[in-house]
Amino acid sequence: MTQTPIFRAQSIEKAFPGVLALKGVDISLHPGSIHALLGENGAGKSTLIKVITGVHQPTAGTMYLDGAETRFTSPRDAIAKGIGVVHQERNLFPRFSVAENIFLEQLATSYLKPVNYAQLNRDARPWLDALELDIDPATPVSELSVARMQLVEIAKALSLKSRVLLLDEPTASLTSSETDRLFTILRRLRDDGTSLVFVSHKLEEVQEICDRVTVLRDGANACDSRSMDGVDRDQLVQMMIGRSEGAAAWRHRDTASHPEVLGLTGVSTVLGHRDITLSVRKGEIVGLYGLIGVGRTELAKSIMGQFAVTGGEVRVNGTAVQIGSVAEAIHRHGLGYISEDRKGEGLILQHSVLANAGVPIWRKLAGALGSLSDGRVQQVVTPFLNKLEVKTPSLAQTVGNLSGGNQQKISVAKWLAAGVSFLIVDEPSVGIDIKTKAYLHELLRELADNGTAILLISSDMPEMIALADRIAVMDDYRIRGEVPNTGVYDDISRKIMNHIHGSEVDRTEFAEASNP
Amino acid sequence: MSAQDTPSAPSPNSSTGDGRQTWLRFFLSNEFGLILLIAAFIVIFAVSTRGFLSPFNLFSLGRNSAVNIMIGLSMMTVIVTGGLNLAVGAMGVCAAMAFGWLIEVLGLPWPIALLGGLGMGAALGFINGWTVVRTGLHSFIITLATMSIFFGVMIFLTRAESYRAIPDVFSALGKMKIATYLSPLLLVTLACALALTWLYRFTVTGREMLAAGASPAAAELSGIRVGRIIILCHMLSGVLAGMAALMLVARNGAAIPSMAGQLGQDWLLPAFLGPVLGGTLLQGGKVSVLGTVLGAFLVTMLSSGLLMLQIGAFWVQTFLGLMLLIAVLLDKARRSYLTRRNLA
Repeated sequence: MTQTPIFRAQSIEKAFPGVLALKGVDISLHPGSIHALLGENGAGKSTLIKVITGVHQPTAGTMYLDGAETRFTSPRDAIAKGIGVVHQERNLFPRFSVAENIFLEQLATSYLKPVNYAQLNRDARPWLDALELDIDPATPVSELSVARMQLVEIAKALSLKSRVLLLDEPTASLTSSETDRLFTILRRLRDDGTSLVFVSHKLEEVQEICDRVTVLRDGANACDSRSMDGVDRDQLVQMMIGRSEGAAAWRHRDTASHPEVLGLTGVSTVLGHRDITLSVRKGEIVGLYGLIGVGRTELAKSIMGQFAVTGGEVRVNGTAVQIGSVAEAIHRHGLGYISEDRKGEGLILQHSVLANAGVPIWRKLAGALGSLSDGRVQQVVTPFLNKLEVKTPSLAQTVGNLSGGNQQKISVAKWLAAGVSFLIVDEPSVGIDIKTKAYLHELLRELADNGTAILLISSDMPEMIALADRIAVMDDYRIRGEVPNTGVYDDISRKIMNHIHGSEVDRTEFAEASNP
Repeated sequence: MSAQDTPSAPSPNSSTGDGRQTWLRFFLSNEFGLILLIAAFIVIFAVSTRGFLSPFNLFSLGRNSAVNIMIGLSMMTVIVTGGLNLAVGAMGVCAAMAFGWLIEVLGLPWPIALLGGLGMGAALGFINGWTVVRTGLHSFIITLATMSIFFGVMIFLTRAESYRAIPDVFSALGKMKIATYLSPLLLVTLACALALTWLYRFTVTGREMLAAGASPAAAELSGIRVGRIIILCHMLSGVLAGMAALMLVARNGAAIPSMAGQLGQDWLLPAFLGPVLGGTLLQGGKVSVLGTVLGAFLVTMLSSGLLMLQIGAFWVQTFLGLMLLIAVLLDKARRSYLTRRNLA
């Protein structure tokens, strides 16, 4: 490239207590380009972004803006110098309105001047329109879906009119059509000369939109900033994980003769599900496909007894049952649920690895007077933690301090240790890097082969096709049909769309989303 | 330059440093800080006052801290759930009055009346817990309301009269001195503290209480009956409040409606001081029984020592308030130090 970089960072080091997160990283960003920043969880992507945006001060190394050496004393400083960011974590104030969140830094011109809300809402409009977000700027953010919050956050970053805009996993909770819309905007920004940095685990997206790339591995450059030309997916993966991707292909498994473990017939729930009929056999992986918000997680929680089933029949191992609480589902019927919301519902972040992995089996292990020792729990849990290769300094480590991949492994290990015969797995690979994802897929297959019945909830079509034996399609709190997995992507996605379009609910956007 | 090799990162916590880290962690713990403070103040008071270490003063110090520690433990069992129990005082007094009524009006033997009193505490705790679980409101609001209700109903039923026909055997417990300076009440409290330590460390129920307090949603989905556990925590709080009040009855030789002040408010400061000084997280999910014991003891000792220095009682209150503030600030500094050193 002949262009001069707008921003360059050289030999950036960042040390945290006990960890050297960045060990001399280089990156250079050009105007009018979308730069992919890749790496596995823990490779240092987020740390680098925080250094570039002034959240962290680098321990060593220099940064150049327009060729001149610079340093950012705070995020405000970085913003003032034209560096904007959409962080991976939510940074919105739920009770504030959309407009207030967008203009948080510039609500009023002076301290005592009242905020002009009408003006504020008017000013917010164009940024929402740019993202084709049809929401009233006066709506409190707490009333929005997760996907829309993400878009508001992007609108906020756009409103700063940054010259360098960093996006840390902006598409994690977006549907395909929302992602497409975002990409259109990013391309427009690029053409206007903005330098964009795009972080994502979804390599398809990276290949679609990015023209340059930097790959990090273990806090160092696995490749310097370079053009995407001539780099294919395999090379990217190789640079990220240091070896090529394990083939995680679907294979046909015959489970037709196996007995049913969980069956639903004509089930309706207080949450609004109607006429749900579904059956999962021993050793079978049944996919439950649908968009976010169509009632998949809600169905899972109803099966687990958290919400009441109001009609129809629920069978466990052929016997009709009424499940009154989650405790009953787990302890009496051997059902388990791996939540999509790992940090909120899956794990107790402030407790130790041992305490988390053992929760479902405490009752089982308890002796006289309900006594329970760490030793006993450890004995049962350790083999599963080892099997899943959970990386932790000790079992006493606080779970909140571990990486996302390790946290997910612990939430899986917890149910393996509990020995459940039916497991609901809800969006297992959200926020998980490629290596861990492939590993999880392998593990779920192995579990099924050993006889566990699995209901897999996912909006990731490749994941569905890699794992499921059959795919049940859900829309608007109903099952719209079932598609056997033949392993042929186009065929299956077409059938799934047909089922969803067979419903009276009009979802034109879904047609776009279905194109792989 | 293309992909370059990087040496793998050394593991931050190698196994060799573990033993030393455990010690370091203990020396940086809240409990150790409290022990140091207690030791320091013992020296100060022993030097600057006359008779601080006399058997009589040690006896009354032990007896007072027995009650204060119990009050702190009562609050602690609810703080574990991320809640508060403002009704500790009211519940305690109600339990004591029930005890007195069972003896004086029904003529029951005192051990049975004792169980009745504790049962009253548990029942009131059940009301608190059940309401909190059912309404989903914060226990702050619920217990603020029930504090008034419990106290009001109790005054109405007893016509604000004391029960004074407490059997001598029972009130003897309050006056008894083991080896001239030790009150049996302190032993009762320490036994309760040991039982609670065992509960939280070595029983399923205790662990479930901590899990439910740290993250109700995650606990529920892991098969813990969170509602039931929270009710249980409130009941435990009621029983411990009852224990504290019954110890006061033993000391006073009567069950008096005003023994914890108007609405039982006199208990609130000791109830919070113990757990907060002791490092029990107000957000719930973490508990330190030893810390609560040490914290409540420190507070009792300070009040007694300051009074012996003949500082006015109002200064003692001011001093205790300051203590609370300083303790919380120190704890915050300690925690951020621990996080920076990667020890927490």
